[in-house]
Amino acid sequence: MKRKKYTAAMLGLLASTTLLLTGCGANTDTNTGGKTTLTLWHNSTTGEGKEYWEKTAIDFEKDNPGTVVKIQPIQNEDMDGKLQTALNSGDAPDIFMARGGGKLADIVEADQVLDITDSLDPSLEGAIGQGVLSAFEVDGKLYGMPIAVLPGGIFYNKDIFTEAGIETPPTTVSELESDSSAIKELGTSAIALGAKDAWPAAHWYYFFALRNCSQDTINATAKAKNFNDSCWLKAGKDLEAFMQSEPFNDGALTTSAQQGAGSSAGLVANNKAAMELMGAWNPGVIASLTPDQKPLASLSWFAFPEVTGGKGEPGAMMGGVDGYSCSAQAPKKECTAFLNFIAQKQQQENYASAFHTLPANKEAQQAVTDPSLQSILAAYNDAPYVMVWLDTLYGQGVGNALNSAVVDLLAQKGTPEDIVKAVNNAWTRG
Amino acid sequence: MNTSPLTHALPRPRSSNWRQRLEILVFAAPAVVVFVSFVILPVIMAGYYGFFRWKGYGTPSDFVGLDNYFAIFQDSAFHEALIHNGTILILSLVLQGPLAIVLALLLNQKIRGRAVIRILIFVPYVISEVIVGIGWGLLLQTDGAINDFLDSVGLGALKADWLSDPQIAIWSLMVIISWKYIGFAVILFLAGLQSIPEELFEAAAIDGASYWQIQRNITLPLLGPTLRIWAFLSIIGSLQLFDLVYIIWGQYVSSTAGTSTMATYMVANGRDAGSYGFGSAVAVVIFIISLIIALTYQRFVLRRDLAGALTEGEK
Amino acid sequence: MSVILTKKGGRTDHKAAARYRWGSPLTYLVALVFIAICLGPVAYIILGGFRSNSQITESPAGFPSPWKFDNYLDVLTGSTFWQEVGNSLIAATATTVGVVVLGLMTSFVIARYRFRGRGALYSLFAAGLMFPMTVAITPLYILIKNLGLMNNLAGVILPQIAFALPVTIIILVPFLRAIPDEIEEAAAIDGAGRFGFFFRMVVPLSIPGVVTTGILAFVASWNSYLLPLFILNDQSTFTLPLGVQAFASEYSVDTARVLAFTSLSMIPALIFFALFQKRIVGGLTGAVKG
Repeated sequence: MKRKKYTAAMLGLLASTTLLLTGCGANTDTNTGGKTTLTLWHNSTTGEGKEYWEKTAIDFEKDNPGTVVKIQPIQNEDMDGKLQTALNSGDAPDIFMARGGGKLADIVEADQVLDITDSLDPSLEGAIGQGVLSAFEVDGKLYGMPIAVLPGGIFYNKDIFTEAGIETPPTTVSELESDSSAIKELGTSAIALGAKDAWPAAHWYYFFALRNCSQDTINATAKAKNFNDSCWLKAGKDLEAFMQSEPFNDGALTTSAQQGAGSSAGLVANNKAAMELMGAWNPGVIASLTPDQKPLASLSWFAFPEVTGGKGEPGAMMGGVDGYSCSAQAPKKECTAFLNFIAQKQQQENYASAFHTLPANKEAQQAVTDPSLQSILAAYNDAPYVMVWLDTLYGQGVGNALNSAVVDLLAQKGTPEDIVKAVNNAWTRG
Repeated sequence: MNTSPLTHALPRPRSSNWRQRLEILVFAAPAVVVFVSFVILPVIMAGYYGFFRWKGYGTPSDFVGLDNYFAIFQDSAFHEALIHNGTILILSLVLQGPLAIVLALLLNQKIRGRAVIRILIFVPYVISEVIVGIGWGLLLQTDGAINDFLDSVGLGALKADWLSDPQIAIWSLMVIISWKYIGFAVILFLAGLQSIPEELFEAAAIDGASYWQIQRNITLPLLGPTLRIWAFLSIIGSLQLFDLVYIIWGQYVSSTAGTSTMATYMVANGRDAGSYGFGSAVAVVIFIISLIIALTYQRFVLRRDLAGALTEGEK
Repeated sequence: MSVILTKKGGRTDHKAAARYRWGSPLTYLVALVFIAICLGPVAYIILGGFRSNSQITESPAGFPSPWKFDNYLDVLTGSTFWQEVGNSLIAATATTVGVVVLGLMTSFVIARYRFRGRGALYSLFAAGLMFPMTVAITPLYILIKNLGLMNNLAGVILPQIAFALPVTIIILVPFLRAIPDEIEEAAAIDGAGRFGFFFRMVVPLSIPGVVTTGILAFVASWNSYLLPLFILNDQSTFTLPLGVQAFASEYSVDTARVLAFTSLSMIPALIFFALFQKRIVGGLTGAVKG
């Protein structure tokens, strides 16, 4: 009798395995009860930003009864890898976050993203402006909808500056060094740095490069595919010299940028560090990390200081443009309707207040009230030119190699020459 | 083994025996198909993709010959990863082996509470790498629990950047690895100890051998095969270490912190950089290195142990 | 592999004769120190879930004061956690069943048939020990993509079965070889064919080995991270390790809640292991209770 039982059990197990293997797929069809579903990936996993997307989805569904928007927040640091995997395998979300530059060009080349040139609402052309739109153009065609402009610079805590006896923010690198020393005297970290995520550390190099390299050199490098111009090496040397003053927080190498109270933004939010070099999304990130989850009242902003003998034009800025693209498989009509919807004035004002950042739509920029953002906006409107982040500009492969090499430099494991070498190697790898 | 007067029931090899062939096919084919498709084929595919520059979209077309391989061997970041793998491999054997033997001897005694102690010692082995990474990551942060604890017991001088100081990070990683995997070594050694016949110990005890003499002259030699197998699994594990490093140090800074491994190098420069051809070439290099080490080990260390698996009859 | 190769007649179980006594205080002291080291980090995770974030920030190494239960309650009442437990269970169960069934069938052929190519077959699987999944992950992901199994648990299960086969076969072959020929002869005299022999004799006799390999496969699947990371993008298909990581980044601000989620996700594997730990050691010793 016992044997029969074993046989039966075995057969049962076999049968159930087969069932499991055939019947446990994820259900990702795009049709729920005759409605079109749009899946959306964004990178705001906390607080007001997350709520903004939930509310926007509901508002859009009200205006477009035939459409359902399914939202998935993905942590910023996981976004690139996950999106790449999803685009490779042809099951990308319908709407995903894009930052233009070389990364977008790669996806365009692979026919994975929708050309929305003809679908752009004509009224938005003027409201956003050609300069910002061009961030999402490849060969004269538009592949994404800008919704935020995010120029970078140094965010700082006015109260700590006052306490350290600093009256005006630094305008040169040597002033920045002496101000940092004064702040360290107080027992506070001078500059918070989230080097674990690599890009925040790399931004220090980018800005030294922006000051050292001319606009033409930065643009020509994308085509020349090497860092042989001497300004790239000088940017590394300047950063190395700046590092000698030990301005960054202890343990910067394993400090993340935005995750939790121990991250670099968290250090600023909790008055444990005075400064952080970041893009215009930072007031929002800091607000979500303060003890009461309110914006930090003493937060202000100054432009990256000038370096002596640099070829970059004074006042030049670097920053990103955040936007959203439709993947090639997305239902075009509904998807582009959504992109136009989020770029309208009212939505953009909601966006700006939820994220504490600068909307891409100029009509919505009146709504910016945060003092640190207002000073960014003023600098942005006066800037002779605005470069896009180097890792966005030069594409993912080169961007990763550059970022890692800068982290090595900051950890005193590499030299400025190694940065040039790493980038040149990455370009040969393609 | 007694050979019965009856002939062996094991069928003699008869090439005309279609029935036996059918049986072999029915029993072995499913496993062979699954194994070949998901283990052997991907390795062959990696070999193919490794010759291309390819971003992962569509089919690879930009043939670059051995360029990817030259790039790997010229890349100092890869050399470092290789050195870290080697360090982890040797330290794992040195740190875990002796400790696991002591623990196994301890837990092999028939003492009260043995079962509970066993379960508790195996806990780290059972929880997933992700949990271990998150937990230890929080403990070891510069302003985390360990430093806080050192402060509160007056040992503030011992505080360190456990994870971000390149001098210390690899040691922190070794502590975490040992903590996580020693349970597995103990399980294996316990199994090995239990297969040693009790009579041997009893006889030795009657002859007046001390506990330590028994361990040195009976237990350790008889545990040899188990030790060698464990060392083999540990070596393979060290060569392919990925999860813990990736979770604790994230996607970018493991090489700077001095904890990168060949596998994290592969993921960072392959998938994360969008260079699938290059990533595949790294996979092939890891595979070849693992293969050489494993074959060498089998040839010189494991030969006697595996011989029994296929030979007929008893030793 | 002679751990596992011990033939029958190894250790007989003195269950009745096993007298447990109190060991020396030193033994317990050493054990206690080890247990403290093993459990410290785990206790930190579990206790952290009962604290608030401000408690954790203020004093990272402190105890909960006051104890807060809402972190755990939030996780337990949310649907995410249970869905991920379900996915992990499906993946681990299917992997275990698949590995055991396929492994047993192949081991049977290798252990009890003589044919040309038997050695090659064994070596093929034994070589698999040297193929870490990490190495194959990129092409494996491309293969799964081409099979249309992305975001599908089957895309995780099938490769896991394949990669668990080598260890399984290496453990099971000696078990099956240890079955005395007399039993096979008796079965043959009773008129049982090879299939009959397999189901009536081989399967029951190899239970200890099956349990061992099954548990190893189950725990490996339960904890596996790299493969699901590549294959599963859709939150509804996440297994627990992915879920823990996603949760940790989604609520990165909320350390206490992350710790609560993390400690809850440990529990199923711990229970499973506690139930079967005796069988693991028993199975590995290869003592066939004939």
